[in-house]
Amino acid sequence: MNRSDGEDPRLALVLALADDELILGHRHSEWTGWAPHIEEDLAFSSIAQDEIAHARLLYRLAREAGLTDRDEDALALGREPHEYTNAVLCERPNGEWAYTVARQYLYDTADAVRLESLAGSSWRELADAVKVMQLEEKYHLDHARVWFERLTGGPSLTAREKFAEGLARAIGEAIELFEPLAGEALLIAEGVMERSNEELLLDWLARVGEELEAASMDYVLERHAAGVGEMVPTSSGDIAGGAEEFSAPVAVRRGGRWVHEGGFTGSGGRRGRHSEDFLPLWEEMTALYRSHPGARW
Amino acid sequence: MSGPLVNGPLPDLSQSEPPFMGGSPGHGAGRLERQIWAALSEVRDPEIPPCSITDLGIVERVSLTADTLEVELLPTFSGCPALDAIREDAEAAVRPLAEGRDVRVRFVYAPPWTSDRITPEGRLALQSYGVTPPQGGPTNSARTLIPLAALHRPQRVATCPFCGSQDTFVESAFGPTLCRATHFCRACRNPFESFKPKTTGS
Repeated sequence: MNRSDGEDPRLALVLALADDELILGHRHSEWTGWAPHIEEDLAFSSIAQDEIAHARLLYRLAREAGLTDRDEDALALGREPHEYTNAVLCERPNGEWAYTVARQYLYDTADAVRLESLAGSSWRELADAVKVMQLEEKYHLDHARVWFERLTGGPSLTAREKFAEGLARAIGEAIELFEPLAGEALLIAEGVMERSNEELLLDWLARVGEELEAASMDYVLERHAAGVGEMVPTSSGDIAGGAEEFSAPVAVRRGGRWVHEGGFTGSGGRRGRHSEDFLPLWEEMTALYRSHPGARW
Repeated sequence: MSGPLVNGPLPDLSQSEPPFMGGSPGHGAGRLERQIWAALSEVRDPEIPPCSITDLGIVERVSLTADTLEVELLPTFSGCPALDAIREDAEAAVRPLAEGRDVRVRFVYAPPWTSDRITPEGRLALQSYGVTPPQGGPTNSARTLIPLAALHRPQRVATCPFCGSQDTFVESAFGPTLCRATHFCRACRNPFESFKPKTTGS
């Protein structure tokens, strides 16, 4: 299956999934040795190990399906910054603990929604890989939910407020996880994707909205919506990016549920446009590979 | 610490555990195929040495043709760093039986490995190593984790591998390897580990 430009759109799908896992896995691994206590050190180290393994599984799949000539190391570590198509959310520095766990909650709930859909893909090898990933992601989601309950359930109002700030900061960029892919219509027509990113976004936002309402935390969605327009969603240090400004939908409450309003314009992470936070991460992550191309260990 | 680790009867693991789902020589397997399975049953998991890879249900299929000897393995956790070592050890174990055939040992991802594939022997071997075998069933939800007595969440009850008590709690769903969680036993005051349940059911 090929787009008019000759590229098989399955490559964009696999790379979007894999790059999200790789880059967020890299960020999670930065907690190794630094997390607030040893259980969390192990938790984030283990989650990082899973996510990076999932990236490897998907890169390998791309190669085996003949979508690229590059092997898993070359895909993970040998691409130029603008060739990575992770969502900007994944590359943001960990910041403080509340932001880290807020981001993990939003990412893993979104990941669960897209994996549920891809488990039914007509591309059998992808569906098989996704089913393996789902069994492991379940533990990540549990981890995120425990922290969600712990920080929203009190008794510390400070913890709750810090978590709310983390959520409000992350949620706009979490919506960008659902930026449409190049060639998405073809992927849907062929049953490789069962549902569009827009449908997945609708589903995810409804679920997250319900959970936030149940914890009386839905004001973070309002706070996010109010903040859009004051800030530029992907910030100044764009690496690739065209002249057209990128914008993403905003969460709004309509008819008793949270939905998105507006569409995606311009190019975001899925088109290789990143924030100023990506380059330092890329430099560190790929330093060894770039200084010893083709090295094996 | 003084005194024996095991201070009570160990739970009977052979009762009411999930049936072993696959990974053994089928009916009508020839002599050579049975020998290959036997050789694979000597390959140890490097992170849990008392367990063989057949005990853990890692071996999915052995197939023989006139020219090839193929073994398909299932990764327990896809990020397990022992996978390469397991593949190399399995290859070394079957190579002497190849009788000139090309040997191919590889990991595949379908069906997904689940902890239901661990055999009764594997469960005993885990226990002997101080790792509580995974528990299944709806009452033993895998939704656990971290120091969270305050959450009142249903926790899966892990039996202490040292004293057999069920008065235990989950410290963390994460542990020294991807496949293990960490627990504490209130009865004998020992920390212990369990093999994480990984099933499609819960």
